[in-house]
Amino acid sequence: MNVLSLYGAEFRRFSVDRFKPGKFEEFYKLIMHVHRIANMEVMIGYADVHGDLLPINNDDNFCKAVSTAHPLLRVFIQRQEEVDYSSYGTHSLTRKKKAVVTLRNDVNRKRPHIRIGMPQDFRPVSSIIDVDILPESHRRVRLYRHGSDKPLGFYIRDGTSVRVTPHGLEKVPGIFISRMVPGGLAESTGLLAVNDEVLEVNGIEVTGKTLDQVTDMMIANSHNLIVTVKPVNQRNNVVRASRISGSSGQSSDSSGSSGYPSLSTAAAPSAHGYPDELESDEESDIVIESSLKRPSRRSNASVASVASNASRSHAQAPPPAPVDSPGPPPRPPSVVSTVSFHSQPSLNSLSNHGSLSYKLHRDLNLQHSQYQHHSSHPALRESNGSLHKILSTMRTDPRHSLALPRGGVEEDGTVITL
Amino acid sequence: MKRFRRHGQESHRDRIKQELYQFNKTVEHGFPHQPSALGFSPSLQLLAIGTRSGAIKLYGAPGVEFMGLHDENAAVTQIHFLPHLVELVTLLDDNSLHMWTLKAHKGVSELLEIGRFTLTGPPGAPPSVTRVTAVLAHSSGELLLLGTEGGHVFVVEVPGFRELEERNISLEIVTHSIPEEYGGRRSLEHVESLQENPANPQQVLIGYGRGLMVIWDLDCQSAVKHILATQPLESVWWTEDGLRVLSSHSDGSYCRWSVAGLDTQSEQEKSEVPYGHFPCKAISKVIHVTLVLFSPPLRSSPPFLLFSGGMPRASYGDRHCITVIHSKTHVALDFTSRIIDFFVIRDGPDQAGEPSALVVLVEEELVVIDLQTEGWPVIQTPYLVPLHCSAITCSHHVSAIPLKLWERVLSAGALQNTHYSKKPWPITGGLNLSPDPPQRDLLLTGHEDGTVRFWDASGVCLYPMYKLSTAGVFHTDADPNDNMNQCTEGEWPPFRKVGCFDPYSDDPRLGIQKIHLCKYSGYLTVAGTAGQILVLELNDESAEQAVEATVADLLQGQEGFRWKGHTRLEVREEPVLFPPGFQPFALVQCQPPAVVTALTLHSEWKLVAFGTSHGFGLYDYQQKNNVLVRCTLNPSDQLAMEGPLSRVKSIKKSLRQSFRRIRRSRVSLRKHHLQDANARLEAELAEMELAPVQRKIEARSSDDSFTGLVRTLYFADTFLSDSSHNTPSLWAGTNGGSVFAYQLRLPSVERRAEDLVTAHPAKEIQLMHRAPVVAILVMDGHGSPLPEPLEVAHDLARSPDMQGSHHLLVISEEQFKVFTLPKVSAKMKLKLTAIDGSRVRRVGVAWFGSSCSEDYGESGLTVLTNQGDLHVVSLPGVKMQVHHPCIRREDVSGIASCVFTKHGQGFYLISPSEFERFSLSARCVVEPRSLVEVPHQTPTSLSRAQPDGASEYRYEQPERSSARRVMEHALLNDESEYLRNPVDKLSPV
Repeated sequence: MNVLSLYGAEFRRFSVDRFKPGKFEEFYKLIMHVHRIANMEVMIGYADVHGDLLPINNDDNFCKAVSTAHPLLRVFIQRQEEVDYSSYGTHSLTRKKKAVVTLRNDVNRKRPHIRIGMPQDFRPVSSIIDVDILPESHRRVRLYRHGSDKPLGFYIRDGTSVRVTPHGLEKVPGIFISRMVPGGLAESTGLLAVNDEVLEVNGIEVTGKTLDQVTDMMIANSHNLIVTVKPVNQRNNVVRASRISGSSGQSSDSSGSSGYPSLSTAAAPSAHGYPDELESDEESDIVIESSLKRPSRRSNASVASVASNASRSHAQAPPPAPVDSPGPPPRPPSVVSTVSFHSQPSLNSLSNHGSLSYKLHRDLNLQHSQYQHHSSHPALRESNGSLHKILSTMRTDPRHSLALPRGGVEEDGTVITL
Repeated sequence: MKRFRRHGQESHRDRIKQELYQFNKTVEHGFPHQPSALGFSPSLQLLAIGTRSGAIKLYGAPGVEFMGLHDENAAVTQIHFLPHLVELVTLLDDNSLHMWTLKAHKGVSELLEIGRFTLTGPPGAPPSVTRVTAVLAHSSGELLLLGTEGGHVFVVEVPGFRELEERNISLEIVTHSIPEEYGGRRSLEHVESLQENPANPQQVLIGYGRGLMVIWDLDCQSAVKHILATQPLESVWWTEDGLRVLSSHSDGSYCRWSVAGLDTQSEQEKSEVPYGHFPCKAISKVIHVTLVLFSPPLRSSPPFLLFSGGMPRASYGDRHCITVIHSKTHVALDFTSRIIDFFVIRDGPDQAGEPSALVVLVEEELVVIDLQTEGWPVIQTPYLVPLHCSAITCSHHVSAIPLKLWERVLSAGALQNTHYSKKPWPITGGLNLSPDPPQRDLLLTGHEDGTVRFWDASGVCLYPMYKLSTAGVFHTDADPNDNMNQCTEGEWPPFRKVGCFDPYSDDPRLGIQKIHLCKYSGYLTVAGTAGQILVLELNDESAEQAVEATVADLLQGQEGFRWKGHTRLEVREEPVLFPPGFQPFALVQCQPPAVVTALTLHSEWKLVAFGTSHGFGLYDYQQKNNVLVRCTLNPSDQLAMEGPLSRVKSIKKSLRQSFRRIRRSRVSLRKHHLQDANARLEAELAEMELAPVQRKIEARSSDDSFTGLVRTLYFADTFLSDSSHNTPSLWAGTNGGSVFAYQLRLPSVERRAEDLVTAHPAKEIQLMHRAPVVAILVMDGHGSPLPEPLEVAHDLARSPDMQGSHHLLVISEEQFKVFTLPKVSAKMKLKLTAIDGSRVRRVGVAWFGSSCSEDYGESGLTVLTNQGDLHVVSLPGVKMQVHHPCIRREDVSGIASCVFTKHGQGFYLISPSEFERFSLSARCVVEPRSLVEVPHQTPTSLSRAQPDGASEYRYEQPERSSARRVMEHALLNDESEYLRNPVDKLSPV
C-alpha cells in the first residue's frame, strides 16, 4: 500500500504492507527517517474516508488508518509546536459543503466557532455509568476530579422525599443537592442539578445517614466520586436499551475502549472500572525517603518509584507524551451523535435518524460547554489549507465510526431527550 | 464443599469473636449531673440520688452501686425509702410516682422499677388537686400518704398503689377542726410537709404552706391537735420522743412546739430567727437530734440542731449554708453550690445513737461531715467524687501500674489528705461481691486550673489518689494562700467553707491538654494550653528547686505571621518548694504559645516529643535541650498562625456584618412603607429559618486550615533506613495527612549525659486523602504492636520480633493503612469514611483476652468514631471485628473525652462530672456486683449479723473502706505472683 507523506511542502512516498503494517513506533520512525526529521517532535495525521483529518499516535489508530486507507494513505506531519489542533476532525472545510449542513438547523451554523483541543489534552470529567442496571429515573454520575483544578463544587442539604412503599406514599428524609458552585466540576458536567436527590455515594445508600455522614463519605471519595441521583428534572432521563440493541451498545462500548487505553493506565489510572477496580495507585500516597547514609541537612530526597507515580497524579497529571498516551481522535460534529449512541446504546434502535438533528443540537450544546475550556490553543491557520483540500467527503452513517474511544464516550456521556 | 468449609471457618471466627469481644456499659464514675433529690434508708444504709434527667442512683458501701432510669425524662423531685424494706418511691416532676425495688437475681441485687402511679382526682377537679407536694412513706411499710397542692392528703396502699379513698384527709375536714378565727376564708395552701410521729405511728403531722400544722390520727380519722403558726411553712421535724415539733419558716425563723399535752392546740415553746435583726432567707429544712439514752450510763448529751438557709438576705443571701449548732459550737457550713438536701446518720443499731455524720448533697458534690471528731472534719467520699471540681480538659489512662509506683503515688496522696477525717465511710449498705480488680489502673485527668488528678480506676469506685498542681511553676494572679478552711475570728455567721468544687480557673493558660506517664520510671509529662510542657519526676521527699525553661521556636523562621493568641506563661525564676509527689524539673515553652496537641515521652531514651498547630519538637530531658524543632505550618494557613483569638474576631466580624445588614434593612424601612418593610423583614427571617443547613462537598487540599496541626507523636525502635538495622525513630502525624519520620541517634549509655542526641529526617508520607492522622503504630515481625518503653526491660512484655519485617500502621480519620518498612509502600488498608461516613475520633491499642481460654488473646484497635460508634479492628490484619453504638453522635464532648485502656475498656464523660465506663472485652469487665438484703422488720432482732449492712456488725468493720481492702488484696496478690513468676507477670503477649 502506498503512503503519501506530507511534511511542510515536502512530499514523500513510500509503501507499507497493508496486511502487516507493524507497530506505530516503527511507522513513526519510518516517517522520521524518510523526512529526515529525526530529532523533532511531530504529530502524524491522516485523512480518513470521511475526509477528516485524524491523528495517528498509537497502534490502534495506525492500524485503523492503514486498513481504511483506500487506495492511498495520506499522511500529514506537523511539528508538535505548530499543530493546529482545530484542524483535526471538526473543522474540515468539506463539512460545510456537504449534506450534513442540511441536516442541521440554522442555530448550529451560527454557533460560535469552537475549537477542540488535542486528544492528549482530553481527560474524562464526568460520565453517566451503569445505565443498564439502574432504574430509568435514576442517574449514576461519576466525577473525575484528578487532574482538575476545578473544585467539585456543590453543596448538599437535608430534605424530604416521597417514596412509594407497601403502605402507600411515605415521606422520608433524604439528601439533596442544594447549590452548585459556578464553574465547578459538578456544574460544568451538566449532569447534576440543584434539588437532585442523592441516593448513593460510591455504591453505598445514603438512607439513614446524616447530612454530615454523607458529606464525609463524599469527601472521602472525592478523588473519584460516584453519586447516584434521582434528578429533579425527569425529562432528561436516559431511556434504557431495549432488548434488540442492548448488546450492540455494549460491544461498541468495549471496542471503543481501544482508542483510549493508555491515558487511563498511565495518567488516569482509575478512569475505568467501578467500583472495586478503583483501588489503583490513583490514591497512592507520596513517600519521600531521605537517604540516611549521609545525615546532612540536605534533603537529598531520592524519590522512590512509588513517589514518582504518585506525585504525578498528585501534581495534576502532567500531559503524557503522545507516544504512550494517544487521546481519542476528535470527532466531526456529525459523529457526536454516535458518541451518544455508544454511551446510551438504546438510541440505536429507537431513533436512528428521526430525531437526529435534535440530538445533535443538544449534543453540540453540551459539547460546547465542555470544550470551551480547551479552546485556548494557538492556531496556525495558514497550514490548514493544504490539508483541507485533501480531506474527502463525509459519510453520515454514524455506525462507521466504531473506533471512537471509550474515553470519549465517558467524557461526553450526554443527556438525550426522546 | 468449599463453601461449607468457608462457612465453618466463619462460624469459628464468629465464636472467637464472641469469646473476645463483648460490649457493656458497666458503671458510672463521678458525681451525677444535676442532682435533684436525695433519699436515705437508715435500715438499708443506702443513699439514693435522683437527677433532673430522671436517673436514680443508689450507693451503699464502696462498690455497692445501683442505677435506674425512669422512662419519663422528668426530674426526680423526691425519693422515699419504705421503712425497713428494700423498696423506694420516687416522685417525678410530671407528678408520677414510681416504685423501685432491689431484687436479688443470681446472688446479685438489681434495681428494678416495679410500679408506677399517678394520682387521679375527682372528675372536673383542677390538676392542682392531685399535684403531689409531700410524700410520707409510713413506717408500717404499707401506706403512702400523698399531700397535694390542693391541700388534700391522699392515702395509697403500697406496693400496689391502691388508693384508699375512705382514708383520704380532705381539706374540708381539716378546716372544720381548726379555730374559725385562724382559718378564716383564706386557703390553707398546699401540703408542705407530712411527718410521722416517731413515737406513735398512728399520728401524722400535716403541715400546710400557710403555716398551719395538724396532727392527724390515722386510726380514728380525725385531727388530734393543731399548731397555729403564722409564718409560711418550709419544713417540719418531729423530735424522736414525739413530744416536740420543730417548724421552719420562710422568714428565716424556726419554732419549737410542744405537742405533749392533751390540748388540741399546742403551744409555742420557742421561736427564733438565728441570723436575725435584718430580714433573712427561709430556713428550708430543720433537723433536731436529741439523744434518748435508755441504757446506763445515763448521760445527757446536748442536742444537735441543723438547718439549711436562714442567712441574712442582704449580706449573705447568696451563700449556700447549713448551720450546725451543738452545745457551744455553732458553725455555718458554707457550701460551693446550692443545697439539694441533707440528712444525719446516727450511730447505733436502730439509728438512735449519737449523730455520726452529716451528709449534704449540693448541686455539684456530696459532702459528708464527721460530727464526732473535733472540728467536724470532712470525710473523703469513696464515690460520687466531683471529677469536675475544675473542668476536665483531658484524660489519660495507664493500665497495670507496678506496685512500687502505686505505693509511692498513694503515699504522696496520703500526705495531701491529712485534713480529712480518719473515720470510715459511714454509709455501709449492701455487700460488694465484685471480684478483686485484676490489676492496678490509673486514670489521670487534666483540669482547667492546671491540676492533674490521679484516680484509682481499678475497680467500681473511682477513688482519688493524688492531686498534682502545675500552677506553682508559673506566676499567676492566684493567691497562693487560698486556704479552704480560712475563718476569720469573730465573724458572724461563723462560716466555714466546705467542699472542693471550684470551677473558676484563675488563668485558662494553665489548663492541662495532654498527659503522658511512664509507669515504670515514674516520669510524667504534662502539657498545657499555653504551649507549656513540663517534665516531672516522682520524688518521695519535698524539694525546693527552680524549673529550667527552654523555649522551642516552632516557627523556624517562617515569616509573615502574627500570633494573636495568649502570651507565654511567666516562669518563676526562684526555686519553688514542691511537696512529695511528682515534681517538675524541666519545662519547654513553645513559641508561639499555642495549645499542645500531641505529647509523648520515652523514658528509656529520656526524650519528650510535643506538637502544636505549628509544628513539633523533640526535647532531651536529661540534657535539657531541644533535639529537634520542625515547623509543619503551611505558609498560607493564616488561621493557625493567628491563634485562638482571631477566630473570635471573625465571629465578631460576622456579627458586625449581620448587624450592618439589619441596619441597612432598617434604613430601607424608613424609606418605604413601614408595613411593607416589616413584611419583607419577616419574609427574610422566615427564609433564614427555612434555609436548610448545607454542607459543601469539596476535596481536601493542602491549603485548608490547620493542616500543619500535629495530631499524634510516636516513638518506635524499628527499621527506618534498612531492614537489617533497627534504630530509634520519632513519628509525627498532622491534620493534613502528612507523616514525618525522624531517625534518632542516641549516644551510648555512658556518654548519654554529654553527647548530643540527634534527629535526621528519614521519611515523609503524604496521604493522598489528606485526612488528619490520628495515630501511628509500628507492628513487629509477628504483627504485634511494639511494646512500651521499659516494658521489656522490666520483663513485662515479650521483646518485639526484630527478625521479621516491621509494618507501619497509619490511622487517619478516614482509613487504616498498613505500610511496609523500611521501604514505605502501601500494603493494605481499611476504609471507614468512604463506606459509612463516620470518621475516627479516638483510637487505642488494646489486648483482648479470650473469656474461654486463659492463654488466647488478640491485639486490636479500639476505635471511637464521630458517630459515637465503637469499633474493634483486628491487628495486624486491619479487619473490622465488631461495632457497637455507644455515645450519641450529638454528644461531641462525650466523644472527645473518650479514653481507652490497654485491655479493651474505656471511659467517656456523660456529663461534666461523670465518666461512663464501658468494656469491649469479654474478659476484662469491671462492673458493680453487690447484694442488698431485706432487713428484719423489728429493730430488736438486729443482734443477728446481717449481710445487708444495716447492723452494727457491718458498721464495726475496720477503718478502711472496702475499696481499699480490695486494693490491698490485689497488692498482696500481685506481690506473691511476682515472687512466684517474675517474668510472665502482666505480660499481655
